[in-house]
Amino acid sequence: MSDHAAPHDSAGHEEHSHGGLGKYIAVFAALCFLTTMSFFTYSEAWPWRDQPQVGWAFMMAVSCTKAMLVVLFFMHVWWEANWKYVLTIPAAMMALFLVIMLIPDIGMRNRMVSQERALHMARPADLLLLEEAGTAGPAAEAH
Amino acid sequence: MSSPAISIPHDAGHADGHDDHHGHVHLQYQPGLPLSRGKLIMWLFLSTEIMFFAALLGSYIVLRFGAAIWPKPHHVHLSEPIGAFNTFVLICSSVTVVLALEAAKSNKTGLAKIWMVATFVLGGLFLGVKAYEYQAKFSHGIYPVAPHSRIYERPDLYYGSAVRARLGESAIIERLKEIDEMPAESLSAEQRAARTSLQQIRTMLGDPNQQAFEMAVVADQIAPLPAEGAGGHGGGHAHGINDAFPELQLPIVIPGGNMWASTYFLLTGFHAVHVVVGLIVFAVLLGYTLGPKNAGMIENAGLYWHFVDLVWIFLFPLLYLF
Repeated sequence: MSDHAAPHDSAGHEEHSHGGLGKYIAVFAALCFLTTMSFFTYSEAWPWRDQPQVGWAFMMAVSCTKAMLVVLFFMHVWWEANWKYVLTIPAAMMALFLVIMLIPDIGMRNRMVSQERALHMARPADLLLLEEAGTAGPAAEAH
Repeated sequence: MSSPAISIPHDAGHADGHDDHHGHVHLQYQPGLPLSRGKLIMWLFLSTEIMFFAALLGSYIVLRFGAAIWPKPHHVHLSEPIGAFNTFVLICSSVTVVLALEAAKSNKTGLAKIWMVATFVLGGLFLGVKAYEYQAKFSHGIYPVAPHSRIYERPDLYYGSAVRARLGESAIIERLKEIDEMPAESLSAEQRAARTSLQQIRTMLGDPNQQAFEMAVVADQIAPLPAEGAGGHGGGHAHGINDAFPELQLPIVIPGGNMWASTYFLLTGFHAVHVVVGLIVFAVLLGYTLGPKNAGMIENAGLYWHFVDLVWIFLFPLLYLF
């Protein structure tokens, strides 16, 4: 069986010579462009600097697009038969469930905390305190 | 599994002359899935890897957005341009591995080997940059676990007592004496300022009526949180006592820093392990003739490598830009 399987399969694979270098270069250019786009959110020119959620949504969209490009063209999934859905869709669903299952216990862990924990965990007020100390620093040094 | 006939032996029909009767029974070998077994195994492995990294990334997202406070990238000395550079390196390496496969398929073994070497070098470059980044974290006292980690969550009295305990260690007392006695001209301007603030925080810590805000000032003198856009590594960020006298290794305050360090080192560490495994695979492949006969091996190694690239595509914005 194995003697017959390998040549049959590799021959079938050779036949449809998908891609060509031009396609890979185009995908590469698109990936570089998209990386620059997500890096753009970090630059001063990004218009929604005071609303980080906009940047997060944008970057996730960019990352998903990049992931699609890599999977479809570099991993040749575009040209594969329907078995690709059997492997990728259940795995993606499991991945999603894994995350959703974490939300009640881990994601919402700080909704209700014990006094002991509240005493030791950092809060935004601590950051403000540090920033205040930073601006007051040179003045304190002068004393 | 092995029961379907690969071909019907025609001599069975020849014996009684029913050649035409058997002739229309075309039994052909059909693999369960139209792909080679190596590739099938690789894809099965990759589907488990999807779940592995989805669990890690998902935990990170849930932990991060459930946290009361999460450090900004510049608080933990992450450099966005370096992260973007590493993304570029991995994308390039994905392209070179695809080009190696194409060259091998068209029997250009020499060219395939060149692309394979390029992939190996790019993977090594990625790891080198990662090592540099890890070193930048370590030098600021950011470690994932306690004996080395010097991160405190809040500038409170526990933090103050940790600084006092560190300053009370005999080796540090010796070193402080040396620093105090150093002639001013042998110190840089930054070190002179740090020496003054060292003396200041020692009196502040000795004061029995300390207040929370004073601890914030102590934390700021030791390791100020770099301002946004200061550029992360090296020269750009604000300097504190820990930067002027790194040997003192005083405790630092980064709100949310401990959870950040745990997730950052876990995610990038597991990713780096995958890169190392990929490099080993490429090193092994370099020992073969990279022609059409071995194209399947290159394809499978490439699938794995693209997946490693894929993980980084999500890691980069989540860790560096969120």
